[in-house]
Amino acid sequence: MINKTMRALLNVVLLIWAGQVSALEYQLQPKQIAPDTYLLQGKMQDFSRDNGGNIMNTAFVVTSEGVVVFDTGPSRHYGEAMRQAIAQVTDQPVLHVFNSHQHPDHFLGNQAFADVEIWVLPKTGEQIAQHGSAYAENMYRMVGDWMRATEVRLPTKPLDQPLMQVGDHRFRFYPFTGHTGADLVMVDETTGVMFAADMVFFQRMLTTPHTPGIGTWAKELRELAAIPFKLMVPGHGPVVNDTRAVEQMLSYLEWLDRTLTDSAAQGKSMHEVMQSKLPAALAAINLSRAEFVRSVVHLYPDYEEAAF
Amino acid sequence: MKITTILTLCLSLMLSAGLQANPQTDPLNSVMWDYNRQIFLGNKAEYVFDDRIKVGVPAFAEDPTQVPLDIDATALTGRIERIVSWADLNPIQHIFTYYPHSDVLPKISLRIKVQQATAVRAAVLTTDGVWHIGSSWLEATGGGCTTPSVGNADPYWESHLGETKSRVFKGAQSSRYKFRVIHPMDTGLVGSIPEFFIQQVELRDDSGSALARMELSPPVSENPVITFDLRTTDAQHHLWLRDNNGNEFEKAL
Repeated sequence: MINKTMRALLNVVLLIWAGQVSALEYQLQPKQIAPDTYLLQGKMQDFSRDNGGNIMNTAFVVTSEGVVVFDTGPSRHYGEAMRQAIAQVTDQPVLHVFNSHQHPDHFLGNQAFADVEIWVLPKTGEQIAQHGSAYAENMYRMVGDWMRATEVRLPTKPLDQPLMQVGDHRFRFYPFTGHTGADLVMVDETTGVMFAADMVFFQRMLTTPHTPGIGTWAKELRELAAIPFKLMVPGHGPVVNDTRAVEQMLSYLEWLDRTLTDSAAQGKSMHEVMQSKLPAALAAINLSRAEFVRSVVHLYPDYEEAAF
Repeated sequence: MKITTILTLCLSLMLSAGLQANPQTDPLNSVMWDYNRQIFLGNKAEYVFDDRIKVGVPAFAEDPTQVPLDIDATALTGRIERIVSWADLNPIQHIFTYYPHSDVLPKISLRIKVQQATAVRAAVLTTDGVWHIGSSWLEATGGGCTTPSVGNADPYWESHLGETKSRVFKGAQSSRYKFRVIHPMDTGLVGSIPEFFIQQVELRDDSGSALARMELSPPVSENPVITFDLRTTDAQHHLWLRDNNGNEFEKAL
């Protein structure tokens, strides 16, 4: 009797365990957003063991000669899943991979593209070489087993040209700095799709750990919004066909700048600033509270310094 | 009476006793509570956990070398003798001891280093001999105490050691002194970098007597930013600092 119960219990435990193991699949569904253009949209969340770090958007373009990939995701496993997703859509080989910037969710899938040239802005290459392994370690801590066998695979080609023709598509590159000091924005001039990466967040609060300054970011966002496009793919959040995402960011950045300036002028401590209330429109953005608190840590010391 | 009835009675008595919050039970259930209590308060000291002592930290240490910490004991009515603050799971637990004069509000803000997720404490001793304990839990990835100071990669501090910026922020009922001083605040826990930190901070009036006196430990962050709140808004004060190498720094506020 006891044996039977134990065996039944063991079965239940095994079933749950098996369920968890098979749950570590990204289940990427490429969504066509323009001719030849596919999006793999991540969740509007922070890194977790549930989402495996799939919180960013990656994309690929199937040209007449081969496939162009924009960002490779947070892990080796994601990169491999992305390659399978590409193979579902086309038999064409992958020709070029671009990493938009130094953050781990945009380049740690590079191992799955070991046979392809991986392009980055020269400064991004230096940043990944310097900080990549620390990012990877941090990702293991945050998302756990999804990261298995992930290591930094460095980009192979510095991107210093403004244009690239691949088959029947023409890509133009814009080097910005607002998010991390080196941020690549790629526009497919053939389809009008702008791959804005983390220069643009929409409905998911922007992050500031490596921004050269929110003034710089805001200025560059105005420049970016002036570039002609039909469809804008943010690094995080849904695709838009107008400048809504940029406007949302500008309104937050302006509020953030004003709040930090006023707080410093009142002599507030960092912890007191963290208690500031976000206006309703900004509070409605995913992760707004958590990202605001992080940004106070990143940015407030400079505002305090200026107020002495 | 049946044995089962007696047992049930005993059990329910035990349960109801357990349900009442014991003011001497650590609300954060930290394994280091008793050890640190004995070190910082003494073995026989009388203490209560007291919600009026606010320990303000963010939920998560975004930067484990610069975690904001606000301590506010203004809700306490008794006269305060001193405030001791520590982080339970830091390799160096003690953060500071603060002796506020009656003209100074028992309220202070600074930034600290943490080595891992930990309980952060403020123990406030009132003149009746009772310690009032406030606590908060801080999540962290860690490494804050064993990371070389930023200054170690940049010789800037060597020519600017002790340079202090300060400002008085006048309010209606009180005024705030805020200052920032250039100092590496090395913990001594990084290979080949001995501990080097500001040990004493005093806020002095014209006659040189201290309105507020603080003893700092290395977990206070590099280039400390500290605020004091005063009840008076018009007096003249100056700041006096000394580090563990005997360097003294003074600044009129």
